[in-house]
Amino acid sequence: MSPYDLLPRFKAQYDANNQEFSISGVVRPQAIDELGPSIALLRDAIGRVRGVLYVNVRRLTQMNNAAFHAFSRIIIDACRARPDLKFVVITSSVVGWTSRKFGRLSGIEPNITVEEYDSEFYPGQGFLEEGGFVPILRTQTKMTWRHERAILPRHGMRPGIVMADICCGIGDFAVLVQKEFQPSRIVALDHSISSLDYARRVMREFDIRGIEYTYGDASEMLLDEAQFDLVTCRHSLQIFNRPELILKELYRICKPGGRVYITNEKNSHCLGEPRAESIRWTYNEVAKLFGHFEMDVELGPKSRRYLIEAGFEDIRVETFMVTNLDGDSQDFADVIAAWADVYAGEMASKRGDCPEFVARFRQGFQDHIFAALHPKGYAGWPIWVASGRRPQ
Amino acid sequence: MGPVHHDLAGGPAFEPMIQIDMEIKAFVSAWRHCDYVSTYMARMISQNRSDSVRHSSLFSSAFNELLEVAFRTRHADGELACRVSRHGATDRIELIFPCVPEERRFYEEAVSQVAGIEARERYLNSVSGDLAPSREIVLLELAVDYNATLRVEDADGDAIKLVVDLPLEGLRN
Ligand SMILES: C[S@@+](CC[C@H](N)C(=O)[O-])C[C@H]1O[C@@H](n2cnc3c(N)ncnc32)[C@H](O)[C@@H]1O
Repeated sequence: MSPYDLLPRFKAQYDANNQEFSISGVVRPQAIDELGPSIALLRDAIGRVRGVLYVNVRRLTQMNNAAFHAFSRIIIDACRARPDLKFVVITSSVVGWTSRKFGRLSGIEPNITVEEYDSEFYPGQGFLEEGGFVPILRTQTKMTWRHERAILPRHGMRPGIVMADICCGIGDFAVLVQKEFQPSRIVALDHSISSLDYARRVMREFDIRGIEYTYGDASEMLLDEAQFDLVTCRHSLQIFNRPELILKELYRICKPGGRVYITNEKNSHCLGEPRAESIRWTYNEVAKLFGHFEMDVELGPKSRRYLIEAGFEDIRVETFMVTNLDGDSQDFADVIAAWADVYAGEMASKRGDCPEFVARFRQGFQDHIFAALHPKGYAGWPIWVASGRRPQ
Repeated sequence: MGPVHHDLAGGPAFEPMIQIDMEIKAFVSAWRHCDYVSTYMARMISQNRSDSVRHSSLFSSAFNELLEVAFRTRHADGELACRVSRHGATDRIELIFPCVPEERRFYEEAVSQVAGIEARERYLNSVSGDLAPSREIVLLELAVDYNATLRVEDADGDAIKLVVDLPLEGLRN
């Protein structure tokens, strides 16, 4: 027997609080009796619930027809025996086959519905995902790259490694890494179809090879365990309401001895001269605004704690400041203008801010731009870099 | 969306991608082999698909079903050959395994049923029916859920060749 045979390949659980039966992993039995305990658990759950039983198959990567039939039959029979009961099957768009296959069940029994789950961990997705933000993301990555290309080798980046960039966005970072460091393989994952389409188009147009763009949910990835020497996740932990769940996944896919590299901001520390006061006020408000939408853009300095609590060792933290002096100060100004648009625009109005607040809020961004373009001015955007090693 | 049809004679040229051959005896010695082989081949051929993880998951589910069908044939000797080739968005699986003449007729019959219009209906009935899915239903399911096209081709000796075209790249959730 190989060690593979000894691993339990799937897991079934029932959570009575949420009336949720979940089954995950690879379910490919030869005979149905191998499923005995899970089938009994499902039967038992059906016996206990009132109203709705949730059947969570978000992480069910494989299930053969024999097993599918066995579970479906129980659910279909239950619908017939208890018309008061409803079943909601929760699939993930990432797995590919589950929504179609379980979807057939609702054609058989109307009390079975199938819901495709999409991340609830990212309440602010809509604000940033809109197409208009793409040029700004590109400029941002260009500005941070000037610093990160020198920083990355201190955090495990070297030629020939196998790496993953999780929450890769439009893929610019992966492309820059590919050119500069030539890893042997890059898997780049994001949950935005439009960003991935963009990334793939860039790859085709510039004939770039070696990057695999993958649609996925960072909180529940279908990537195998322990396969990457370096896992990067940039500017993204800060947008999840439960960053520790993402970090757990980054840890899981990282090889023992490999490193996880994260970058985050502390928005209230954006600064500028002249007009420092107004700038400071506005960025303090930015942090509160994101907080309102359950995103922590103050996360940067908390990286060390998050990494320690996730079980990493040999933690390294550094900071760098993107400034108007790095390259083209107009780039810096363009980025601020785009932030102002989204933050003082859609986000503020969604929170229901009054016009007086919005005017003052906007002024701080304008002052930041003023500082960036001023011949004697200085404007900065600080970033926290942190990495940790997964123990051997 | 209907199944993608290919012209058999002089159809599009499929590029070979990967092939695995083994003694059927070795293959049927452990059920897990279906899972190993389907998972391994799915990973190998999905690397350069636009969404490799999703493609590999879909390919592995379809291919595993075919291997389970071959496994159940339980013929004592001969060879199992699995070949995957590609033309554009379509991946072709060719599965050759030993089989006696009656079984061969069974497969021909089953594959011709798959093309029938009431395929979907029959598949749904089987899901709510009492019986565990038969080999015929398994083949039907490939057509219904993966838009697969299937056919049986001649193979040397007492063997059968199942040819299954899977247009997974174009398949939406
Ligand atoms: C602030 S952007 C950062 C993008 C990129 N790393 C960069 O530095 O430009 C956050 C990214 O996380 C992605 N994202 C949001 N929720 C996700 C999820 N559940 N799984 C994977 N990616 C997600 C978004 O689509 C977006 O591209």
